Amino acid sequence: MTALPAIDIVGLTKVFDRSGQHLVALDGLDLRVEAGEFVSLIGPSGCGKSTLLRAVCGLLPIDGGSISIGKESPIEAKQRKHFGFVPQTPALLDWKNVRDNVRLLQTVNRSAADNDAHRADNETDDIDDLIERVGLTAAASAMPRELSGGMQQRVSLARAFALRAPVLIMDEPFSALDEITRADMRYLLLELWRETQATVLFVTHNIDEAIVLSDRVVVLAGQPGTVVADVQIKLGRPRAEGIEDDPIFHAHAASIRRALHEGHR
Amino acid sequence: MMRQRVLLSVAPFTGIAGFFALWELYVRLFDVRPLTLPAPSRIIVHVLENLGFYAENAVVTVTEAAIGLVLAFLIAMVVATAMAHSAFVERASWPVLVLIQSTPIVVLVPVFIRWLGFGMAPKIAIAALFAFVPFVSNAVTGLRSVDADRLDLLHSVDASDREIFWRLRLPSSLPSLFAAGRICIALALIGAVIGEYYGSSTAGLGTISQRAASRAFVDQQWGSIFVASFVGITATLLLLACERRVLRWHASTQQR
Repeated sequence: MTALPAIDIVGLTKVFDRSGQHLVALDGLDLRVEAGEFVSLIGPSGCGKSTLLRAVCGLLPIDGGSISIGKESPIEAKQRKHFGFVPQTPALLDWKNVRDNVRLLQTVNRSAADNDAHRADNETDDIDDLIERVGLTAAASAMPRELSGGMQQRVSLARAFALRAPVLIMDEPFSALDEITRADMRYLLLELWRETQATVLFVTHNIDEAIVLSDRVVVLAGQPGTVVADVQIKLGRPRAEGIEDDPIFHAHAASIRRALHEGHR
Repeated sequence: MMRQRVLLSVAPFTGIAGFFALWELYVRLFDVRPLTLPAPSRIIVHVLENLGFYAENAVVTVTEAAIGLVLAFLIAMVVATAMAHSAFVERASWPVLVLIQSTPIVVLVPVFIRWLGFGMAPKIAIAALFAFVPFVSNAVTGLRSVDADRLDLLHSVDASDREIFWRLRLPSSLPSLFAAGRICIALALIGAVIGEYYGSSTAGLGTISQRAASRAFVDQQWGSIFVASFVGITATLLLLACERRVLRWHASTQQR
């Protein structure tokens, strides 16, 4: 794989114009995600997390500041298919089976992938391997509506990893799942990520989830959203179930909760 | 459970059978004159005795309706795609569509005949006009109903507009297109029959119905009505069967 990029956000400003009213979502926000770092953004609804995420992967034009993905702009990175995007809902194509859904992002905008020779080979092997690792081999030919919510989200994860993109962008991907499935998904995600070591920007509402997954948890609050805390997670890797009982985990959870409360006032 | 399912599956047939049984009973019980209302059994016997005649005329009507339907569908897809991509086109188009829909199309029959002659062409045009507006409005709804997350997903790898149309917008709109098709099949047939009825043709179910009416051929008048309904039901059932196959992935085709 090519060298992993860092994400550098400087002075990011985004203003929404809704029926004549100016809504400043972000005003001069700075954030840096190091190459290969897993960073979670946590904060209340309306603090601009999703706006930030969409701006980073070139889905939203910005009104000020700059974003760079390594040496590329978000648009360039998008054109070269450098983002593995995981939206909030699984967003599977209902008319395609599991395998074809996992392959979906590979099969569109093919010319971009051809430029990156390292990603073109062994595609089919990769897909079957990925499907196996997310535990869906038996369901590979199943249609989305035959799957549970948790299984659908596994397909969504596999689809993002199938790109072997150097940057993963995830927008509350587990928010619709029940607590038990949700906890399982964290460890599945960590396992998949461990091999790619991609640079990750992960948005969540869930403090436990943020700590289990991340190298750093960034707390956003207010409107426009500002960084109110930046917590380095001092837990080793690989992380396994039971890590939630670690005293360090509890300390982090307490400080993040405090930051969220203070930011809210 | 099993009994419930069997009951539900025969329910539509009992409805039709009951309707005809009551009709038959009424005619026989009150000795209604055939000129006023013939018994359904009499009409069916008449149709079976003249099957070749009705088949010949039905083929003409079905051909006109089918070409009209396809034409309406193709033009509607082009219009709907333009409307779904541009708010200006959409806003500009709706008044025209409402105008078409609220025009009693029957009055346009003489106009179409003046333009297109006495052959199939004006009937095709009328059939197409009948089916056009429902197709457009459902297609616009379908093309617009694309889920935002799916759209973001494809945009995140810089998929082209063309890829997004073929891979996402069109398949997403299939359920509404089929729903429109179910309505439009019947509308196109009605359009073809009306075109024939008022359009002085030489063949078609509308033509033989109109001739029978003016000469008080009661059996033929009702025979053409029966055949037209039969054709409509058959076409709708064929489309439903097709929809079941194509939309197997969609929740609406699930067994209830």
